[in-house]
Amino acid sequence: MTLAAMPRWLRSGRVLIGLLILLFVVTCALFAPYLAPNDPNEQNLIATLLPPAWADGGDPAFPLGTDSLGRCVLSQLIYGARLALTVALIASFGAMIIGAVLAHVAGYFGGWVDWLIGRIVDIWLSFPPVILSLILMVGLGTGVQNVILAIVLVDWTRFCRVLRSEVIVVTRRDYVAAARLLGFSHWRTVTREIAPATFPLLITLLSLEMGVAVVVEAILSFVGMSVGADIPAWGQMVADARQNIYQAPWNLICPILAIFITVFGFNVLGDGLRRTLDPRLSQTERG
Amino acid sequence: MFATIAKLLARRILVSIPILLLVSMLLFMILRVLPVDPAAMSLPPNATIEEIEAKRVEMGLTLPLPQQYAIWLSQVAHGDFGTSIQLRTSVTRLIGQTLPATIELAVLAMAIASALGIAGGLLLFYLRGTRSETVLDVGSIALLSLPEFLWGLFLILLFGVWFEFLPFTGVLSAGYQKPDITGFLLVDSLITGQFATFWNAVQHLILPAFALGVSFSPPIMRVLRSSLLDVYQDDYIHQARLRGLSERRILIGHALKNAILPTLSLMGVQFGFLFGGTLLIEIIYSYPGMGNLMVDAIRNTDLPIIQAVGLTYCVVVLVISILVDSLYLILNPKLRTR
Repeated sequence: MTLAAMPRWLRSGRVLIGLLILLFVVTCALFAPYLAPNDPNEQNLIATLLPPAWADGGDPAFPLGTDSLGRCVLSQLIYGARLALTVALIASFGAMIIGAVLAHVAGYFGGWVDWLIGRIVDIWLSFPPVILSLILMVGLGTGVQNVILAIVLVDWTRFCRVLRSEVIVVTRRDYVAAARLLGFSHWRTVTREIAPATFPLLITLLSLEMGVAVVVEAILSFVGMSVGADIPAWGQMVADARQNIYQAPWNLICPILAIFITVFGFNVLGDGLRRTLDPRLSQTERG
Repeated sequence: MFATIAKLLARRILVSIPILLLVSMLLFMILRVLPVDPAAMSLPPNATIEEIEAKRVEMGLTLPLPQQYAIWLSQVAHGDFGTSIQLRTSVTRLIGQTLPATIELAVLAMAIASALGIAGGLLLFYLRGTRSETVLDVGSIALLSLPEFLWGLFLILLFGVWFEFLPFTGVLSAGYQKPDITGFLLVDSLITGQFATFWNAVQHLILPAFALGVSFSPPIMRVLRSSLLDVYQDDYIHQARLRGLSERRILIGHALKNAILPTLSLMGVQFGFLFGGTLLIEIIYSYPGMGNLMVDAIRNTDLPIIQAVGLTYCVVVLVISILVDSLYLILNPKLRTR
């Protein structure tokens, strides 16, 4: 990223909105112990399903009320941001690394390497992503590391497919041929000449992928295939609240909003980056 | 024209076979590394070690892995997915009972997604350059940020709990008989003339299908908008304008026809994703389709069902992509003359 490009993408309203939302979520995650009014796992069986503090019967000690075990909803939301962001950051970087390396290899060398990688991507794409991640979780077992691993193993194709065509376009440019003629090695050509040109696309995809990872983690914890019950997770909150949908609808709305706001932050940021950094990339896939 | 289409179709189907083989191998391997013993699971808990060993031999679990895979594959090729460990019934029958419901849900959801997507895309394009476009555009990102299962829960809250407007569990209310001819509830109730049942089933389908459809519509909107923007650069649009055609006629009669093609191929990809999305919607709405079968099987580590359902999802996704490709070919004359 050159300095001259900085103001241009920071001037975009979408990038700013996205960054502000994410700054808020990251702050919640980092300072959870200081921000949360209660211990998120502390059960209080005489104060279950309390409404938010401003509603009738609300308790100011639990600003957003309590769940069916009397746990503080606000504290769970704040701590839940930790899991969501951990998974989003690590899993999307992992998926990016695998996807980007394979995309550059396939697009740059072409030929049978490209064919092989293309066929592997085809096989992956014939699995609906939800199904593949569930099956992987069955095989790997639950736990944060395995959630991350499953997302990496499912989502690297998102990077690979889109980046590969970009790499092919860049590889055909004259300056790449010039670099080869100057005697640059393949490694140096790819890392110094091609990768910088595909970098804007990479950053955009990374931002979108983080949103996808938040959703996948929520889905997995919703069906009980993510982390243990002692780690607050938004998907788990949704699953719990679903049992008491008539008595405590606010219990359901809070985690839904948390997931929505976080994913919206990543998507708006990604969209803003796409518009400012790479006008050619078309939105060809969900999320 | 039909010869070229048939040739391309045949090639697509031929390519799908090795993909399916590899997918099945992958499924088999992932599930065989699990630290569970299907033999012990299919016997009562008081079975002796010798009995379990005998069962292992009987089930072929002592054979080398490639051989186990070959046996499983040859049974699958004959339509036999084995017997469920938990439910003790034929897995093929279980899939036969649940697949039609899932297809019904997916098709209706895709229709809703396409209608919303095309209408939204036209609207976004129509408002191009105005302030409302920016609002709508950010709105479509917001739509995109709410995944299908959250839409599902949100709609339950809104229409099921607060307004008590629509039912949100199962496929039929109590007291309705389920006709069983093809397995497709909507089709069956129409064939047998049970319109009350049909209407009840439609009411049950509205919320899940809408939740799924609305969450898959924003990408369609956005691609249609951008391909309309591309198409409007072409000379024939200026020419149509010079001929004095109204803007509406240019948009609907000329531009949309060309812009819909890239949208169509995206919709094919979307349909595949949407088909996977039915899983969560089915859980949320207690809808008796493959998704619920799969999640129950996962909770009970019922390997034969997991393998079979996983493979069925892949087959359906491949079939959808082949169908969309051939539709694309029929609609786009440029591709035929190769």
